[in-house]
Amino acid sequence: MTFRTRLLLIFTIAVVASVALVEWLAIDATRRAFEQMEARRVDALVAQFRKEFARRGADIVRAVDGIAASDAAFAIASAPDPSAYYSEAAPMAAARGLALLELVADDGTIVSSAEWPARFGYKEDWLAKRSDWKAAGAFLRREELPEGMTLALIAVAAVRAGDRKLYVVGGQPLDEGFLSTLALPEGMRALLYRDLQARFAPEQLLGPGPRGPELEGFLSQVKQRRVAATRIIGAETFYAQPLNGYDGSPLGVLLIGSSREELMRLERTQRSYGLIAAVAGILIGMGVSAWATARVTRPVQRLAESAGKVAAGNWDTTVEEGSGDEVGRLARAFNRMTHELVEQRDRLVQAERVAAWRELARRLAHELKNPLFPLQITVENMQRARERSPEQFDEVFREGAHTLLAELANLKQIIGRFSDFAKMPAPQMQPVDFNALVSDTMRLFEAQFAQARVSPKLELDARLKPVNADAELMTRALRNLVVNAIDAMPEGGTLTVRTLVFGGGVRLEVSDTGQGLTPEECARLFTPYYTTKTHGTGLGLAIVQSVVSDHKGRIAVESERGKGATFRLDLG
Amino acid sequence: MPHISLRWLAVLSVVSGCAAALPAAAATRPHYGGTLRVEVRGAVETADPPQTGPGMADLAAAFAIARWEAGRGAAYAAEENAAGGRPFLDAVEIVMGRALREQSADLDLGKADVVELGWNDARRLAAGRRTWTSAPVRIVTLVFGPRVDDARVREALALAVNRNAIHNVLLQGQGEISGALLPQWLSGYAFLFDMTADVARARTLAAGAPPAARNLTLGVDDATLRPMADRIALNARDAGLAVSVVQGAGADVRLTEVRIPSRDGARALAAVAEALGLPAPARSDTPEALYAAEHALRAGFRVVPLFHLPDVYGVGARVKGGGGISPLGEWRFENLWVEGGRP
Repeated sequence: MTFRTRLLLIFTIAVVASVALVEWLAIDATRRAFEQMEARRVDALVAQFRKEFARRGADIVRAVDGIAASDAAFAIASAPDPSAYYSEAAPMAAARGLALLELVADDGTIVSSAEWPARFGYKEDWLAKRSDWKAAGAFLRREELPEGMTLALIAVAAVRAGDRKLYVVGGQPLDEGFLSTLALPEGMRALLYRDLQARFAPEQLLGPGPRGPELEGFLSQVKQRRVAATRIIGAETFYAQPLNGYDGSPLGVLLIGSSREELMRLERTQRSYGLIAAVAGILIGMGVSAWATARVTRPVQRLAESAGKVAAGNWDTTVEEGSGDEVGRLARAFNRMTHELVEQRDRLVQAERVAAWRELARRLAHELKNPLFPLQITVENMQRARERSPEQFDEVFREGAHTLLAELANLKQIIGRFSDFAKMPAPQMQPVDFNALVSDTMRLFEAQFAQARVSPKLELDARLKPVNADAELMTRALRNLVVNAIDAMPEGGTLTVRTLVFGGGVRLEVSDTGQGLTPEECARLFTPYYTTKTHGTGLGLAIVQSVVSDHKGRIAVESERGKGATFRLDLG
Repeated sequence: MPHISLRWLAVLSVVSGCAAALPAAAATRPHYGGTLRVEVRGAVETADPPQTGPGMADLAAAFAIARWEAGRGAAYAAEENAAGGRPFLDAVEIVMGRALREQSADLDLGKADVVELGWNDARRLAAGRRTWTSAPVRIVTLVFGPRVDDARVREALALAVNRNAIHNVLLQGQGEISGALLPQWLSGYAFLFDMTADVARARTLAAGAPPAARNLTLGVDDATLRPMADRIALNARDAGLAVSVVQGAGADVRLTEVRIPSRDGARALAAVAEALGLPAPARSDTPEALYAAEHALRAGFRVVPLFHLPDVYGVGARVKGGGGISPLGEWRFENLWVEGGRP
């Protein structure tokens, strides 16, 4: 990943994170505001329910008290046998607008029941458990009806006639009708769960709107724990308030559902706007960050390109220094560095040139001094013979002239080799069968191999195809490598010449089993006029490198002291 | 006027047989003329017996049909050549399909002279009004249909019914609690049949029955029997039976009322068995044989007798001449007269 990409990524992440944070904060603040508002609405509705509950209770108490105060109730209470009044409750209840009414004798026996006329004679023992029913007001109680149990808001009044007493038990069922009287704000609904049996019964949940397993689970939980609770279910927040009877027994749960649609709609809108803002922010951020990173990275990129050029050998490369910031300072340092490199290179070249000339001079002096000394001796011998033994002068002159000519030829040969190196011709490229070239070249050295006790070994790759090269120059390079190898094995050994398919070209390896080379020797091996031998011009490997270089090839040497050396030429 | 003296003799004989008669009536001098206004609940479509049932059919001896409006009303005119002599009344006008509550109101307002009384009205009116009450001639029974083939369920329901509560409250003490088909006054052995409730045993029996068999429908033929049916359903619930009350036929068990048509025990039992769809009882010439025949009919709890009820009529103040019905509830209007003669 490039520096620019990384920078761009960091910018983008920063923008996205900022937008997300702002969005989250906005949504959270909205949700909190809504929840507070919702809590107030629920509180208001619960208060309204309680108020309605109290109002209904007061109505029922009033109606029951009215019946208890009536002459008819007194007549029933005072009757020795009240069985004649078994049908009196229904008209009394109708007259007072009560759905439930029971007239119960002092011993708890039902005299008359409006809601279930057939229940005359049955017992209502719970009435005897309390004496101050008037103080109890209206309260919740489970009431049994022909169609099943129901939850009712009831009140009890007692009618006394002498030593007899008649209970008037009247009320209204808490049903859908009761819920429908609650004035609910838009988006809210009230449900009533009637706790009429031990296990949770979904059919006892009254009220409008959908239900589901989650809501029923919540109700079941509140029913068990008997404490008010709030839970978000789907798109609604539900507040559950347990309802208890006069003795504290759990009889129902009031459930107020407040729709979260508005909040969810607002959140969706916010999310949409947030998304648009985020996308816009990201795009803008990416644009800005792209521009900013371009500004930041352009000098760095130029520096990188310049460094690449320097690495490629173009040491004269410089970069625009630009601003005075860190990047500018880096550019200036880079320019100083390349300037220093160029100067050092020039100095080094100069030094190497001087060293090469010195080496050349040394080599020339050494090479020329060897033939010059016999020349000098021969000339001095000839002078001495002419002065001291004229009779032998002709003989000495003849031998001297022969020696002089031989040494002059030697000098000429030395000069010719230097001249050859100086005049390396440009390669004439044509397809060359390297296997044949190697075989032919090796054949020329058969006598020398025998003399030097060297065993030649050829490992030629039959798959090798002709490669474009200058056959004469390559032969010359191979000869030099073979001569070097023979020289490296004064005690004899094995010379292996190997050809291999290398990419689309050829790899030529020449290995000996001589003493090998040190790493320092390997490093300097291709320097002109450098030699590890006591004789030679030091031009052999320089010529090989020159030939390979002219063929756009590479030469390398692998060697380990005592284990011989391998020269590897890669062409094509 | 020899027939008048005969009438007087007849009046005296009827007065001696009626359950209730005001002493003042006997002091009123009989005379001809006037129309007796009668209201009944039933709506009879045809004038021919036995569709006209007890009551209107009984008029045939002394009155002839002058007008017939099917299901609504009828008028009977005195038969001048009746076998027992011409009745005192010129005519009897009958309004049919009149609800009990309306009949009671009409009697109070003087719009009717003779009305049927419901269970509640009977006790209320008995205190200050004149009533005619027959012997207990109507049998109220539970009759199980063939679908209820588990005898445990039938017995459970029979044991669950609290006859005392129904008799005291719903029937206001009218009639008799009974476990027999024939009333005590007719057979003399009705008290031998068990009539007490045993909810605990009923619950045990019901628990032994399959759950599906414990769900029953109880049909009532007559709306006046509905409160009784509701109470029976409530009692049944205590025994673990789920009984729902339905109107009309097709129920698993029916709460029905059958009239005793004869003073002869064997004939009455045979008629009751036929009316209830029971097998014909064995021929019974002795009380023991009659008991055995009735016992056999009750075996298996296919029929559960509950009550024997009388016919009760409210009678207006202007009706004179003693009891207008026989012990079997038959109308005996030929011996009545009304004050004011022809209106």
